[in-house]
Amino acid sequence: MRSILKSQAAAIAALALVCMAMPAQAAFTPSKPMPEATDALLEQGKGIYFQRCSFCHGLLGDGEGPAAKYLDPRPRDFTLGTFKFRTTQSGELPTNEDLFRTVSRGLHGTAMQSFDSDLFKNGLSEDERWAVIAYIKTFAQEFGDPELDPVKTGKVIPLPANQPPYSPELVAKGKVVFEKAKCWSCHGKLGRGDGNKEFRKDDWGFPIRIRNVTHPWKIKAGGEVKDIYMRFTSGIMGTPMPSFVKSLNEDDRWNLANYIKSLQHQLTGHQTLRALPVQGELPDDPADGAWDGAAPMDMRLAGQVVAAPRWQNPSVEMVTIQALFNDKDIAFRIIWDDPFMDVKHDAEQEFDSAELSKVGTFNSYVEANDMIPRALETFRDAIALQFPVKAPQGTKKPHFYRGSSSDQVHMWVWKADLHAAGKQGTEEGNARGWKQAIRPQAEDGQQIMGKATWDQGRWSVVMKRPLKTGDKNDVQFERGIFIPMSVNAWDGSNGEHGLIMSLSSWHYVFLEAPTPMSVYVYAVLAFLVAAALGVWLMRKAEKEEEPAEQGA
Amino acid sequence: MKKIRIGSFLSVLLTLLFIYALVKWGIPAMSREITSLPFPLPVPGTLMFFYMVLTIVALFLYVTFSEEGLTDFLRPVKKFLRGGYTKIFRAVVLTAIPAVIGWQVYEIVVPKVEVPSALRIQHPSSNFPKSFEAKKNPFSDPTEAEVDAFIEQAKANEVVFIPQVQDDIDHWADESEPDHVLEFFPDGPMKKLLAQVQDGNVDKATAKAALLEKTLYEGRALYAMNCRACHGDSVAGDGPMADGFKLRPIDFTDNGTIETIVEGYTFWRVTNGGPGLPTEATPWDSAMPEWKLSLTEEQRWRIILAEYNLAQKTPRIPESH
Repeated sequence: MRSILKSQAAAIAALALVCMAMPAQAAFTPSKPMPEATDALLEQGKGIYFQRCSFCHGLLGDGEGPAAKYLDPRPRDFTLGTFKFRTTQSGELPTNEDLFRTVSRGLHGTAMQSFDSDLFKNGLSEDERWAVIAYIKTFAQEFGDPELDPVKTGKVIPLPANQPPYSPELVAKGKVVFEKAKCWSCHGKLGRGDGNKEFRKDDWGFPIRIRNVTHPWKIKAGGEVKDIYMRFTSGIMGTPMPSFVKSLNEDDRWNLANYIKSLQHQLTGHQTLRALPVQGELPDDPADGAWDGAAPMDMRLAGQVVAAPRWQNPSVEMVTIQALFNDKDIAFRIIWDDPFMDVKHDAEQEFDSAELSKVGTFNSYVEANDMIPRALETFRDAIALQFPVKAPQGTKKPHFYRGSSSDQVHMWVWKADLHAAGKQGTEEGNARGWKQAIRPQAEDGQQIMGKATWDQGRWSVVMKRPLKTGDKNDVQFERGIFIPMSVNAWDGSNGEHGLIMSLSSWHYVFLEAPTPMSVYVYAVLAFLVAAALGVWLMRKAEKEEEPAEQGA
Repeated sequence: MKKIRIGSFLSVLLTLLFIYALVKWGIPAMSREITSLPFPLPVPGTLMFFYMVLTIVALFLYVTFSEEGLTDFLRPVKKFLRGGYTKIFRAVVLTAIPAVIGWQVYEIVVPKVEVPSALRIQHPSSNFPKSFEAKKNPFSDPTEAEVDAFIEQAKANEVVFIPQVQDDIDHWADESEPDHVLEFFPDGPMKKLLAQVQDGNVDKATAKAALLEKTLYEGRALYAMNCRACHGDSVAGDGPMADGFKLRPIDFTDNGTIETIVEGYTFWRVTNGGPGLPTEATPWDSAMPEWKLSLTEEQRWRIILAEYNLAQKTPRIPESH
């Protein structure tokens, strides 16, 4: 018992320390310049690289390590000397400090994580990071050429010291720059990465996923205004993202950076969706004004990595849900960003996961680019809500990944191809674990109605159903009860179908129960009794002691 | 100097407030000094209730000890009730107190909307099979025969690796045309072994250490391919997938995790994953895979060896019965 308490206390202490340490680390700048690349330093760097970097970046530094082909974006090929995130002019090598920043901070939304030992117990110390950077620089010949050194040749673009403070005026000015510089032609009018009608390729031949700038956890080289400013300034080499240093002046770039910052979504954070009661009919159109009054809940999703075929390059990482109900029905509106509207489904191109599902297979993860087509017009977009069939007793629930053989779940699966064909988009089914496909319910069991729209890189889907159905395979909604709910999502043009998808763990939906009349009665009663007592005491005091007071 | 008398009512009130403040803020502040932890230890609600009841009983005894004491105590109360501190003040207090009471009653009886929360047991043992307790990682202490076989492989320059790393090694060998395939290992036991192979005089201790280094290399590769997505490069439970799961992946660098359990337990957890957990460990929220469905026993042990090494931890030694 004592050891448990001790370890808990230690865990809380560690957490508190990490929290306190965080702000101090925000800069990710070294305390001293890179030491001279001596043989000893390179040997130390090689040892670290071998242990910590080679499994993705490869023994040769060419980005072909054992884990590389399962990742999108691919690990950097250091031998090319092309680096995306720099503070130097387009086409130039990065500075030592640029490399230090990337190793220390990592690249958000990618497999490249932070290696800062101030943030992680077994990260790398500053000296170790410099050693490994010195070693990484030996992979590309360019780093050995003094004529290409951006510091010596004056190709560094220092961050201006006079960063203007964030303000609504700058954001408004930045919006004008966003229009003028045609940022929307790739990133979309609302910044959701939906500007292009088809995929573009990067210099390495891999399809580009244009950044949805509204999701800050995916902004690779940092989502702060100064980070965003630097991206317009230096460009992202190897990709179509250019440098705007010539076309936009410094003020415009600051304004634009402020505007982009203003587009970043703030996660709601709670785990319970509060469904609100409404009078009259429920909306089945996602554009209905009634939705404006419904409280949203954001759900974070991860790639399906629980069982083969595992997928660690999910497209849908956040879904926002709202719910409304009346005395008969409940309606959900599900919103998620997806840059392409994929409404075709070619079942013949579906992935056969038999080989990946064997014990001792080479790897149970799906490769990022070679195993499945990640292209337009191949697979449909889809979304599914999942509920337990039986109302949970205590905290016990089916497993969040499709339940189990003894504890089935109810799935509401919306498919974009059905929607596009003018049919009712949502199919009801049941699952008993992920090993078997979702079993569709009989036609007379299909009760979900609703419409869907895709606009500016965003799907909005409504699913409406009676609160109670007579079906024992259906979830039943009751007021005042926490009903577990989770989501599965598929982005067809990201190659997703079947178990190659993203999913959330359990959240809850709660239909607000009316406060019973007795609650108010009790409260008012308590007030009246206490007040009466006060008045009685007052009267008593006035009567009793007046003579005494006079006497004194 | 004239001594200020504050009256017994006011002193009772101040005593109550003082004791309350002491328990509520004083004790936690002192706990910080004593434990030198960076956070205070709060006083539990029941204990607070107990302290306050004791204080009130003591004050009641003090006030009612004598007739004069009680009269003294009640004098300002009665003066207040007669409106001696202005009638407005009396009206405000006599409305405020019932209002607070009414509000408290409302708070107590109104149905609470609280997410059902479960106390989760992190290292459940209720269904931990005894047979796993004494299981040892076969790779952490290779047998003499295995070491000899490795020496033979090293001498013949035909070292066998797991297929997952073979591509990268071949690629490296094609490019660097080394004299020996093991040259890609950095400074350490492997370099020492290579020197001994060249001299034709290999000692078993060196070969054993080098074999362990090779197994660790393979285990790290398997970790990067299978576990990294959730548990992260730094084994800190912060991989790219971690934010999507309510029950976050375990941080192996934490002192309360893999260091406190025997290797056999780690193996059991890796083998059976979330679905193998008992009810008290909320298996329905765990994204931990049943790795027995994808990885062989050997692969799982290699990963466990690398996992402890990456976290710089050692497993607990099984108790001998």
